Amino acid sequence: MSRLSAVRPAYWISGVLLVVAVVVPLLVPTYAKADPHLWGFPFFYWYQLMWVFLSAILVSISYRLLRAEERRRRAAQGLGDPEAADAADAPVKEGDQ
Amino acid sequence: MNTSVDWVQLIIVIVIFGAVTVMGFMASRWRSAGHLDNLDEWGLGGRNFGTFVTWFLLGGDLYTAYTFIAVPAAMYATGAISGFFAVPYTIVAYPIVFIFMARLWSVSHRNGYVTPADFVSGRYGSKALSLAVAVTGILALMPYIALQLVGMQAVFETMGLGGNNTLAKDLPLLIAFAVLAAYTYSSGLRAPAMIAFVKDFLIYVVILVAIFYLPHVLGGWDSIFGAAKEKMAKPNPVTGKPTGSFIPGNAGYVSYWTLALGSAMALFMYPHSVTAVLSTKTRNVVRRNAAILPAYSLLLGLLALLGFMAIKANVNVKGLDGLANPQLAIPRLFDQEFPSWFAGIAFAAIAVGALVPAAIMSIAAANLFTRNIYRAFIKPSASPAEEAKVSKLASLLVKVGALVFVLAMDKTIALNLQLLGGIWILQTFPAIVVGLYTRWFHRYALLTGWAVAMVFGTVSAYNVVNPATKKHFGGSLANIPFTNTPAYIALTAFVLNVLVVIVLTVLFRALKVPDGQDTTHPTDYLADRGDPGVKDLPEILDDGGAATAKS
Repeated sequence: MSRLSAVRPAYWISGVLLVVAVVVPLLVPTYAKADPHLWGFPFFYWYQLMWVFLSAILVSISYRLLRAEERRRRAAQGLGDPEAADAADAPVKEGDQ
Repeated sequence: MNTSVDWVQLIIVIVIFGAVTVMGFMASRWRSAGHLDNLDEWGLGGRNFGTFVTWFLLGGDLYTAYTFIAVPAAMYATGAISGFFAVPYTIVAYPIVFIFMARLWSVSHRNGYVTPADFVSGRYGSKALSLAVAVTGILALMPYIALQLVGMQAVFETMGLGGNNTLAKDLPLLIAFAVLAAYTYSSGLRAPAMIAFVKDFLIYVVILVAIFYLPHVLGGWDSIFGAAKEKMAKPNPVTGKPTGSFIPGNAGYVSYWTLALGSAMALFMYPHSVTAVLSTKTRNVVRRNAAILPAYSLLLGLLALLGFMAIKANVNVKGLDGLANPQLAIPRLFDQEFPSWFAGIAFAAIAVGALVPAAIMSIAAANLFTRNIYRAFIKPSASPAEEAKVSKLASLLVKVGALVFVLAMDKTIALNLQLLGGIWILQTFPAIVVGLYTRWFHRYALLTGWAVAMVFGTVSAYNVVNPATKKHFGGSLANIPFTNTPAYIALTAFVLNVLVVIVLTVLFRALKVPDGQDTTHPTDYLADRGDPGVKDLPEILDDGGAATAKS
């Protein structure tokens, strides 16, 4: 997330998604009311529980975007894939760098 | 009501406790190649934990007595503002973690940091600032551990242990303390990690039964919410104000979101959370976990509603000392509505669920002391065996500190203990999180901001007097200075902290006060596993100083 890469779409899209996931659940006046009810739950309660799912979705999208972006960056810099590497068998050869 | 010991419950709890402990010790022998006399073996499990174990460990941070006892108790006693904020808290915590934790992972693995204090020391070249961060971590963990003790105490008391004379009154608490102390002293971190699986399985069973079976017996969600609404609207006999809030009104908005945001920002400042994150394999594991962990929040929300079920079920929360204790709401609810054998399983789940995090926290605090205070300031040349001994002793002292919090503080709302810890730990946020992005803040400005905010936060919290018990530290909400709007003190102090840091940074930079040396490099913050210079946790510990792992 350096200054250069900040302009890449993956970064600002996930930035926006994460800000939404932090700010919207904290806007209490938008959901501090009883109606409409759902399965006996007042709006205030079910709306917040629904945000558990929305937040998971937003964070997952950000994760995928950033992982793809990071793979591209690492490939461009000639670095290995950390997910594939295993501690014992994939020490990075100093000569590659 | 429950004055005699329920033998069925007690026997089930003892059997499960025993089985879990034996499993933990067996697992620790099976996985261990070294000796527990060594600090690294005892304190960090000696080896990297895999992604899956880490996920359990991180989830376990949430599934504690906080979730099972404290949040529902707060819901039972005063409703949404004091309890249900935990749902938005855990929802916004993960996006926040997602943003900064990958950078902390990278810089730590490149530079061999194991604690937040290590990072601060390297980034700002300031031993004083590092000490401040370490001391805050240890201090903030004590009330958090205290909360776990209160949770275990509530379970033991519900089973009928204890009595109403002076000696027997504190018996449940002393049992809880003894179990925790014996457990951590002998096993280290590895046993809690193994037990986390059993614990989470037990907890899932209990939660699922509780949230499907109980509403059915109690007449459905509609009538549960109805009973809660009625109770919250009734005037409190002492203050004349409504008992609590069913849905926050205008005046409660700021309290609600500041409690949620303040707790969320504080969550991953705790040393034990940082250790769990750093023990993951690659920098993106923590991000992946941040995407799956919200699943825990859903169950947390449903557990919180157990507090409302206790209202509907009209449980008796009178403790053995004759005073009302909302922390008994959930154990008493289970005791009243479940058959004895299932209540026993539920109690074992709650007790183990409080024991494991308490063990992890006291070990984290002990490691912090040994690494960032004992080795850094008192005896740099200590041998590994010596360090392990100091660490064990420190862990015991931290637990004694927790016990002091339990005995000295107002326990009517146990959740306050965790919120008090939050007030302190959040003040390390500017040094740690902002430090991950920019080095602009001056080290002495950070130190002063921290000190001002710690004093402000502690004094504000002290001045909150519980109207019923007249005790200080009666809550964690106070009016924002010069306004009539109550807010979570942690966040108010945090804003003050940041303001002081900014003003003093400008001043110190203008006066050219010497800045410490930054030993990190910009590329460190993006490094990943397999990159040059990036080490796995065990290697870090091997190189980290005097303590060398033998295995």
